[in-house]
Amino acid sequence: MTGYTLGATQVADTFAEAFPMRFARLLITAATDAWAYEAARSATGFATSVIGCKCEAAIERRLESGDTPDGRPGVSVLLFAMDREGVGHRVLDRVGQCVMTCPTTACFDGLPEGERTVGLGKSLRYFGDGFQASKVIAGQRFWRIPVMEGEFLVSDSVGVGRGVGGGNLVIGAAGDEAALASAQAAAEAMRGEGIALPFPGGIVRSGSKVGALTSKSMPASTNHQMAPTLRAQVDDTLVPDGVGAMFEIVIDGASEEAVREAMRRGLHAAAAAGATHISAANFGGKLGEFHFPLDELRDPP
Amino acid sequence: MTLTLTLRAEPPARVLAPALTPEELCGLNGLSVAVLGLRCGGETVAVGDLFEVSGAGSEAKAVVLEGDLRRFDGIGAGLSSGEIEVRGDVGAWAGTAMSGGLLRILGSAGARLGAAYPGARVGMTGGEIVVTGDAGEEAGAGLRRGLIAVGAGAGAGAGLRMLAGTVIALGGIGPEAGLGNRRGSLVSGRAVELLPAYALATRFQPPALRLQLLRVRELGLTVDDALLHGTWARWSGDVTELARGEILIFDEGEGAP
Repeated sequence: MTGYTLGATQVADTFAEAFPMRFARLLITAATDAWAYEAARSATGFATSVIGCKCEAAIERRLESGDTPDGRPGVSVLLFAMDREGVGHRVLDRVGQCVMTCPTTACFDGLPEGERTVGLGKSLRYFGDGFQASKVIAGQRFWRIPVMEGEFLVSDSVGVGRGVGGGNLVIGAAGDEAALASAQAAAEAMRGEGIALPFPGGIVRSGSKVGALTSKSMPASTNHQMAPTLRAQVDDTLVPDGVGAMFEIVIDGASEEAVREAMRRGLHAAAAAGATHISAANFGGKLGEFHFPLDELRDPP
Repeated sequence: MTLTLTLRAEPPARVLAPALTPEELCGLNGLSVAVLGLRCGGETVAVGDLFEVSGAGSEAKAVVLEGDLRRFDGIGAGLSSGEIEVRGDVGAWAGTAMSGGLLRILGSAGARLGAAYPGARVGMTGGEIVVTGDAGEEAGAGLRRGLIAVGAGAGAGAGLRMLAGTVIALGGIGPEAGLGNRRGSLVSGRAVELLPAYALATRFQPPALRLQLLRVRELGLTVDDALLHGTWARWSGDVTELARGEILIFDEGEGAP
């Protein structure tokens, strides 16, 4: 295994391969930080992989009351899909089912500079059954939808931007506890503005490969090359010697630069936390538009 | 430099001033502005005779008017973009039939602020009007869209036959407000005697109003935190129309400023 070392960590000579995606940023506010977080958790549930969930979503960051449109505490959420239409469908579903239903919330567009938009309140308003009302405030249209608690306030539409999905790091260590601790440290360091880590806690233990050895119909199956338990029974194992467990962190970002810098933060945090090996997943470079060589992440953030 | 018109002396008669908008004055130098004519009583008077003109109509599309302009009617009427700032009181019909832009009055306004022209069903269709002082009678009459925010009180008959949009009077709206209101919002920071055509719906914290009050604060009005965080009574009406309109009255019992 060539590459370079960071202290006791071996970094592989490889790259992460990522894809262009479209994304929206929702600002969810509520009477308390806890309710805003509850709505955001619900809205970003079952959104780990675009293959299985039709979108990838995660909490971007918590917002102080001074940083939200209505002066209440909030949470910003990023949602990624393969195209604008996909973003539109998923945003509408999730805000309708998970945000509008949550006590005290309101939902705003966090990407007003987006080059295009998708409708949100302009469709959700029909839930108001004719009793909905709109207000144009500072040039932006909002919908007031009467609900049992009072009113749900939602932006008429939300901006859609061009993002990058599928940046990743694979983090390994001798034992599963050490590998998980390193991955957790990396995930913690990677979170920030413009970054979504869509998997539980930001970490994937079941990385996949495209297709399957045993089926022509399955779109994805376990990454047997990185499964430590299969090391002795497959010819093409990629599990390095001395590694007993590996975790992947998938990164979706608002820009190529945001993903690269998140990977840099994660790589150095994982190394400092005791990872023995760090690698990345790719498809040979033929599928994804964006490549993130680990060699370019050698300098600390 | 922003185009600034400073009143020289009180005019001998009422002046119609709808021509003093950024759209009309954009790109004109001070001399060109000074020779423009305004109707004053039965005569036409040059702007330069009434005002001292400084600066030029800039690309920023902003005009400043200074002085006691209570004899000037129709300031900002028909405004569709840009900003007019008035440093002083203005007469009647300010912001009539506006469709966009911002009219900021650092003083008080006369009757029919942001209203419809006589005989017209529809008045203001967009934009924002902010008045730091009082507004006269029938502010927002025929309002279809947009925001009229008054820092002190609004006179009788605010929101007369309004179609939609919002009229906010932090110091309270006057009597007979919202007659014939279809979908509009009237907001009163003080208790008000309502027409019998309104019925109490509930007391709550209106989320859209919070956003509007924050916008009003951004535009320069002093908005007490109690108004942002307090409870408002929602009265629905006018029941002789659609009953989709509302008058929101601050619940002074709960943390009045």
